[in-house]
Amino acid sequence: MKILVPLKRVCDPDNANKVKVSGDGKAVTSEGLEWKPNPFDEYAVEAALRLNENAAKNEKLGEIVVCSIGVADVAQTIRQALAMGADRGILVTADDGALESTVVARALKALVEKEKPDLVLMGKQTVDGDSNAVGQMLAEMLGWPMATFVASISTSDGGKSLNVKREVDMGVVTLKVTTPAVVTVDLRIVSPEAVKNGATPDSHKYNEGPRYASLKGIMQAKKKKIDQLELPALGSDATPATTYPRFELPPARSGSCTFVESVDALVDKLKNQAKAF
Amino acid sequence: MSDTLVNMRDVRFVLYEMLDVEQLTKYEYFADHSRETFDIALDAAYKLAKEVFWPAYVPMDKQGVSLDTANNKATVAKEMHEIWAAAREGNWQGISGPAEYGGQQFPGTISAAVHFIQNAANTAAHMYIGSCAGAARLIYSFASEELKQIYVEKLFTGQWGGTMCLTEPQAGSSLSDVKTTAVPAKDGDYYLITGTKCFISNGDHDLAENIIHPVLARLPGAPPGVKGISLFVVPKYRVNDDGSVGEFNDVITAGFEHKLGLKGNFTATLSFGDEGKCRGWLLGEANKGLTYMFQLMNEARIATGSQATSVASNAFFHALEYSKERFQGRRITEKDPTTPPIAIIKHADIRRMLLIQKATVEGVFALLAYAAFVADKEHASPSAEERENANLVLELLTPVCKAYGSEAAYDAIIQAIQCYGGYGFSEDFPLAQMLRDCKVFPIYEGTNYMQAMDLLGRKVPMKGGKGFQALVAAATKTVKEAASIEQLKPLAEKIGAALKIVGETTMHLAGIAGKGDIELYMYSSATYIKMFSPMVVGWLLLWQAVVAKKALEKGAGEADVKYYKGKIETARFYINHEIPHLEANAQIMKSNERTAIDFDEEWF
Repeated sequence: MKILVPLKRVCDPDNANKVKVSGDGKAVTSEGLEWKPNPFDEYAVEAALRLNENAAKNEKLGEIVVCSIGVADVAQTIRQALAMGADRGILVTADDGALESTVVARALKALVEKEKPDLVLMGKQTVDGDSNAVGQMLAEMLGWPMATFVASISTSDGGKSLNVKREVDMGVVTLKVTTPAVVTVDLRIVSPEAVKNGATPDSHKYNEGPRYASLKGIMQAKKKKIDQLELPALGSDATPATTYPRFELPPARSGSCTFVESVDALVDKLKNQAKAF
Repeated sequence: MSDTLVNMRDVRFVLYEMLDVEQLTKYEYFADHSRETFDIALDAAYKLAKEVFWPAYVPMDKQGVSLDTANNKATVAKEMHEIWAAAREGNWQGISGPAEYGGQQFPGTISAAVHFIQNAANTAAHMYIGSCAGAARLIYSFASEELKQIYVEKLFTGQWGGTMCLTEPQAGSSLSDVKTTAVPAKDGDYYLITGTKCFISNGDHDLAENIIHPVLARLPGAPPGVKGISLFVVPKYRVNDDGSVGEFNDVITAGFEHKLGLKGNFTATLSFGDEGKCRGWLLGEANKGLTYMFQLMNEARIATGSQATSVASNAFFHALEYSKERFQGRRITEKDPTTPPIAIIKHADIRRMLLIQKATVEGVFALLAYAAFVADKEHASPSAEERENANLVLELLTPVCKAYGSEAAYDAIIQAIQCYGGYGFSEDFPLAQMLRDCKVFPIYEGTNYMQAMDLLGRKVPMKGGKGFQALVAAATKTVKEAASIEQLKPLAEKIGAALKIVGETTMHLAGIAGKGDIELYMYSSATYIKMFSPMVVGWLLLWQAVVAKKALEKGAGEADVKYYKGKIETARFYINHEIPHLEANAQIMKSNERTAIDFDEEWF
C-alpha cells in the first residue's frame, strides 16, 4: 500500500502555556519554544509504518511518503519521520502564517493527485490550532471515503478496504472503508494491538506509542529524498477561506477557592451557582 | 515534579554557538554527519530519556537488584529491561563506535551531550549502556584482530554487556597490589584466571546473553607493582567458534553491594576461576595492562563528571520549579503581614542557591563538552600538532572533569534540597535519591584525591608543562576578548588574575618538589585542584558570556534575549563568588600548610 502521511510541526505541546499573543494582536507567537511533530501526526506515521511492514520479518510492504507544508526548517521534522522508517518526504514551502485549513487541504489535494496514494493517513487534528478540519476537507475535495478519530485499523480484501474503529462521544463506531480513503487517527491508534495488516502476525505486540528514531534510522534518513516544491507550483489556490483579524488571551481566572461542608452542598453549588448541569 | 532533565537550549548553545561542533564534520572520520543528524539524535535522545529512562528512576532505586546465588543468576528491575531494549533498538550503545563495528560514528562531543541527557534521566540505567562502549573501545584499540572480531560489534550493538574489573578487596586505589593471576593454559592460546574483583559496576545482570569483563591480572613471574599487570578479556560465557554463546566460563557472582545510591545498578563481587576453569585472553601485550586500561579509565573519569553534573541538572530543574510554586513569606521590605505570601523564588537567597546550581551545571557541562570536543580533535584531526595539543589539554582536563564535576554537583544538589526545605529531606521527592546517587562520584573511578595527585603530580608537569601552557593560552585569549567588552571587563580581569595566581602557585609548588619535599607537594594537590578547577570553569563561563554578549549585539528574539542575559549574569555570579576562594586556596599552599602531614595519629 502506498500511504501519504501529512505531518505538521507544532511548538512543543509540553510548553503550550508559554505561547503568547504578539504585541499587535495579529498572531500567536511561539518564539523560544522548540518545534515538535504534531503528536497525532506522529501517531499517523507509526500507524502507517505498522500497516506497511511485516514486523516479525522486518520486511517493508509498501511506500510511505511524509509531506509537510511550511518554512524550509520543516525539513527537519520530515527527517524525523524518515528516521522512524518512512521512505521519502515532500516539503511544500510556504510561510507559516499563510497556513489555514483550506489552504492546507487544497495543497494536500494537489499532492494526492500527484502522488496517487492508496491511503492518506493523518492526525485527527494538530495541537496548535486544534481546528480538526483538514482531513475532512481533503476527503470532501477528493470525493474519497473518510474515517475520522480512528483508534484501530485492520486491513481486509487484500488491503482494498480497511475495517476501522472510530472513537466517538457515545462509544466506538466500526466502519469498513474502501481505499483510496482519508483516515484521521486518534491517540489509541498507537496502542500495542491497534493495527493489524494481515502480514505481521496477530500475536506480535508493539510497544505503546510511536517508535523512537534509532541512530541507524537517523543516518539512513539523511540519505532519503525530500522533494521541495513551492506552494504556487502545486497549482492550488492559496487564498485562505478564513482570516483571523485579532487574537487575545482569555481573561485570567481569579483563582479563588471555597470549601464546602458536604457533597450535597457541592452539588447544589455546581447546579445553581456554576450552572454546570 | 519537574520533567525538565536538561536545558536543551543550553546544550545547543554549547555545541553550536560556543564550540562550533559542526566543524568536526570536516574531518573525514565524521564526514557522514551534519548539524541535522546531530539535532535529530539529540531530540531522539531527549525523548527516549524523558519517556523511558526517567519514569524508571525512582522504581529502580526502590526495587534494587537481586541475586539467586544457588543458580548464579542476577536480576535487575523490569524497567531496566525496557530501557535496555529501547537503547538497543536505538543503537545508543554504539553511538560513538566505529561504523565498521556496528557503531554510528558520532563525534564524542555529541555522544557526551547524549550521555548527559541519559544520565540526567537515570544514571544507574545509563551505566549499563555506557559500559558496553567502554569495553568495546578498549578491545577495539588494543586487542588482536581475532579478539576484535569476536567482541567489538557485539558490545557496540548491546548484544553483550561490558564491565571493567580493576578493584580487588586489598587493591582499590592502589592497583599495584592487584593479586588476580593469569596462568598460560597448556592446551590453547588462553590463560586460566584466578582471583576476586569487587565493586564491579554492571558486573552481572540479566539484560544481555553475555557479559565481557576486561580484567587486570598478573602473569607468572611478572614484575611487582603496576609494571607487572596485564589485561585479559574474560567473558562470562565462553564464545563458540561461530560467535554464539557457549559454556559457562567459571565467573561466579559472589554477591552485590547494598549501597547508599545507584541501587538500580548491579555492583558485583566477581569470583574468577573458583573451579579452575575461567579462561581469559590476553589483550595486547603482557605487562602493559594498566596502560591500556587507562584509556578506559580516562573515559570513565570524564563520564563520572557527566553522571554527577547531569543528576545535578535534573535536581536543579526540580528546585527551580518548586521555587516558583512554593509560596512562603514576604519581601524583606514588606511590613504588612496581611499581604499574600510570595513564591520563594522571589527571595534573593533562593535565587542565590539556584544560581549556584545553574552555574555549576552549565559550567561543568561546558567543561565536559569541551573535553569531548578536544578528544574528537585528538582522534580525528589530520594535523599531528593539533592532535598532540589536544591530547595534552585532554589529559589535563580529565581529573578536573572527574573531581570538580563530582564535588560541585554534590554541592549543587545540596542547594537544590535546601530550596525544597523540609520536603527536600523526604524520600517522597526524588531529590534525596539524587543526593544519594551522587555520593559515589567523588569516590569511584579513582577517588578525588587520586585525581588531585594525577593533576599536580602528572598532568601539570607533563611534557614540561606544555598542556598547562596550552590551556592558559586558550584562556588568555578569552580574557583578552572579554576585556574589550565593557560589560565583561571586570570579569575578564578576575579570570586574568586567577590565571596568574594559578601560575605562581604552580611555580611555588614546583619549587617544593624541586627541594625534594614530595610529601608536601602531593599533600598540596587536594588544595591545588580546588584552586585550579574554578579557574577552568570560570574561563569557560567567561567564554560563554562573550558568545552571549555578541549574540545579543547581533539581535535576538525575546526568549533568546532572556537566555543570553541569564548566561552573562551566571558567569558574573560564578566568577564573583568562586574566584575569590581560588586566591584563598593559593594562600594555603603558598604558606606551605602541612598540619595533616605532621599531625600524629594518636592526637585524634
